[in-house]
Amino acid sequence: MQVVGLTTPQEVFVASRERKFRINEILVIDDPHQGSLIGEVVEANSYNRFIPLSINHDFVDARVIESLERLGYSISEDEINIARVKLRNEANFPITTGAKVHLPEFSEVKDLLVRSTPQEGLALGEIKNTEETAATMDDNLKGLFYVYRNGEKKRTKNVPFLLDLRSFQQYPHIGIFGGSGSGKSYGLRVIMEELMLKEIPAIILDPHYEMDFSSKEEDLKGAPDFKSAFKKFQIGEDIGVEFLALGKRDLLDLLSAVKPLTEAMSSAVEILHRRGDTLLSFSSRLELLAEALELGRLRIEKILQQDMEPQEREKYKKMKELLEEYPNIPLVSVQGIAWRLRRLQASGLFNHNIKPVKEALLQGKLAVIQGPIWLLQVFSTYLLANLYRARRDYKDGELRGNASGEYFPPFVIATDEAHNFAPKGYDAPSKGIITEIAQEGRKYGVFLVLATQRPTLLDETVTAQLNTKIIFRTVRGHDISTIAEETDIGAEEAKRLPYLPSGDAFVSSPLFGRTVAIRVRLPYTKSPHTLNPFDEIKNYRQKAQDRLLDLLEVHLPIYETNLLKVIQALNTEAPDLKLEIRTLKESLEILVKNGKLKKEDTPFGAMYYRQT
Amino acid sequence: MEKLNETLKAEFSIAASALKKRMEERPDRESLRNLIEKSGLGRFRISRRMTNDELKILSEKGGIVGVDGSTNSTAGSFPYVITVQQSLAKSTAVKEEIYCSRVLCPLFMKEEMDEAGYLELVKSSLATLEVMAAIEAIEKLKPAVILVDGSLVRLKIEAKNLWEDLKKEAIDREILLVGVVEGITTKIISGVLKESLPEAMKGACDWELLFGALDVGEGLEVVPTGLKEGFRTVFIRTSIDPKPIGIDLLEEQYEYMEQVENLVFTLTPHDSRGIPLWLDLVDKKVKISDALLEGLLKTYLGEDFSEFLTPKRAKRTP
Repeated sequence: MQVVGLTTPQEVFVASRERKFRINEILVIDDPHQGSLIGEVVEANSYNRFIPLSINHDFVDARVIESLERLGYSISEDEINIARVKLRNEANFPITTGAKVHLPEFSEVKDLLVRSTPQEGLALGEIKNTEETAATMDDNLKGLFYVYRNGEKKRTKNVPFLLDLRSFQQYPHIGIFGGSGSGKSYGLRVIMEELMLKEIPAIILDPHYEMDFSSKEEDLKGAPDFKSAFKKFQIGEDIGVEFLALGKRDLLDLLSAVKPLTEAMSSAVEILHRRGDTLLSFSSRLELLAEALELGRLRIEKILQQDMEPQEREKYKKMKELLEEYPNIPLVSVQGIAWRLRRLQASGLFNHNIKPVKEALLQGKLAVIQGPIWLLQVFSTYLLANLYRARRDYKDGELRGNASGEYFPPFVIATDEAHNFAPKGYDAPSKGIITEIAQEGRKYGVFLVLATQRPTLLDETVTAQLNTKIIFRTVRGHDISTIAEETDIGAEEAKRLPYLPSGDAFVSSPLFGRTVAIRVRLPYTKSPHTLNPFDEIKNYRQKAQDRLLDLLEVHLPIYETNLLKVIQALNTEAPDLKLEIRTLKESLEILVKNGKLKKEDTPFGAMYYRQT
Repeated sequence: MEKLNETLKAEFSIAASALKKRMEERPDRESLRNLIEKSGLGRFRISRRMTNDELKILSEKGGIVGVDGSTNSTAGSFPYVITVQQSLAKSTAVKEEIYCSRVLCPLFMKEEMDEAGYLELVKSSLATLEVMAAIEAIEKLKPAVILVDGSLVRLKIEAKNLWEDLKKEAIDREILLVGVVEGITTKIISGVLKESLPEAMKGACDWELLFGALDVGEGLEVVPTGLKEGFRTVFIRTSIDPKPIGIDLLEEQYEYMEQVENLVFTLTPHDSRGIPLWLDLVDKKVKISDALLEGLLKTYLGEDFSEFLTPKRAKRTP
């Protein structure tokens, strides 16, 4: 390999007859005057000087090449490989043409590739096209995990990409971008696994119900067990909101998450909600006020003049007081608020609190928060604000020299579909807290991992704070230009974004000072949703058929004339099947069609039997 | 200046319209084919692409060798020139390449000669180098077929001394010797059809008459006379280019004519200008480019001496 052609201090061409180049490969140029210089392949070409590329003139057709091959000539013998190599650091003057080039030993490029140790860093994947260099790597870096290679699960042979945990202090937030099917969810899963391995407290908001880490990926020897490293919480079932702890703002957010509040409703809530309100006190106040408004002041006064039970009297008296206290609140607003509150209540949200999540974090576990997206949005607002406050209070107390506050650890917040939680252009309940953490979280050790397929829709203040970006295949031009703007990804890489294979990504991190092409490692665990919906249909049918066949077994052979008796027997054994003559006959025909049963015409009508 | 340009334009338009007229007078495809068939001048035949099995047999017999030569001279005026020549025989089956090369300079010739004589010498020397490469290829590469870039007649005339050796070796060892002619200069057809052709076409080159008259893969085999005696020639259109190429074969190897046509057709890219790819590869490899020549001069003669050979004209700024 040697430098050829016109060179600049930034870029050279390297040619080789024997070796094909690969994009992102690292090469060392031995300049006779400037010493060893490190560069990265940004473009790889092969050229055969005997096969010119020309449409009108001498365009070689494949048949002729094949004919020549039959005659014993291999055209590839005359191939020349050329790489465009961008220097890592600008040289003082242009590289000497003819300078020798070699593939680096690991020690030569260690600082460039590995910025952490397997103990201190998150092993996200392998740095692509570094096999040769990895061969001379220290043993403790070799084969750390598995990757998908040519459709097979193999131990990595490349240099590992390690994201240093300590660097979070400096560069706290991670963005993961990529379209559907690009491997983004895998990336998120891998990061979560790595956090669990390092016992870093973390929360992931999981609107897709896919963040389960209990079922292991097959055939991965030595895969760790995560069953006790994470805890799943369903909003309304395991965790919820303590009404007593709600501020006015929280309550407004919660109510508007059910359905947006009108202005009148918002101000009504602000007036009606009192400090120290319990769910009961607040909701009964609402209901009572609604009833009072419906009756009207005059009728209430009239009723009060009548004779009644003291309890009743008390109620009407209260109504009257309420009317006097809140004279300007319209009935529809109160009804609207009450309806929203009932819906929240029905979701079970108020029956629980967030204590289990806090406990999980204190134990260094990953807390998976699951719920429908509308609920997740509001709940996360409440949850994150609370946890963040807990951490902030502790840390601020410590700074003030008053460390007696309750300990709360630093933690990581992760979510997929982040553009729903901090959208650009409009307000969402959770946007405020996420923006705050994005801007200030570093101080308190609260870090974000935000994944989205639409970086363009993510709030810009938040995007700007994502220091490390992991970018998977992205097809939308709009998103590509957003990514190009927000990262140090070069024009060459941006052009490759739409064609990245699933699981391949570029990492743009100030820590590395360049874009690193990686292949994300294979997660040790798998998502509960990996079953293809079409396989699901097939499996379901298969199971239903097998079950029916089992049930029919004792009745075989079955005569068409005798179906009624069979049905009676079947319906007592398996009433859920709800069989009728017609449906049973159809099922029998299907079984015949699938070769499970045989059908024969007999003097007693058709007979179904099993061939032995 | 203006005036001069006008005259130039006028002169050029006269020449152009004469040429146009000539082209319009060309007999059309059908009538030309009729004339040729009636006159018994030759036969039309459609070639086919060889099958993989046929090619395999050919490969087992030693594959094919392409032979080509190249010559280039420094830019000085006679006799202050150096001519560099080389020929190459390259096999599809054997890795070894056979190069023969020679450097000429009129200043150091034994006998004094004029410029025309020197140019003759350059031509015959190149042909000799090509024949030498071909003979050596027969020895060392043992091919089944030798494809020579250019007509065999040229070798016979310009490399008299060695030609007979090559011919004998080829016939004795049953190696097909084939000349592939890109620029046909013969006038066989117009010579025979003289009476039936329009005035302008009398004395027309074979390629001019056959331009567009053949289908892709179609060849016209003619019986040559005169200089071409002892050879068989086929004009064949091997690609979408309407201009045919010529194939020469020894009279003694005439029985293989059809196979040779098929082979040449097979090895020619459909969209190309009609020359077998193998010969193009050999041509690119053997070519002595100006850059190469300059490099040789600068290396072996040094900057100052090579300056000695460069005429003032070459330093003129464009």
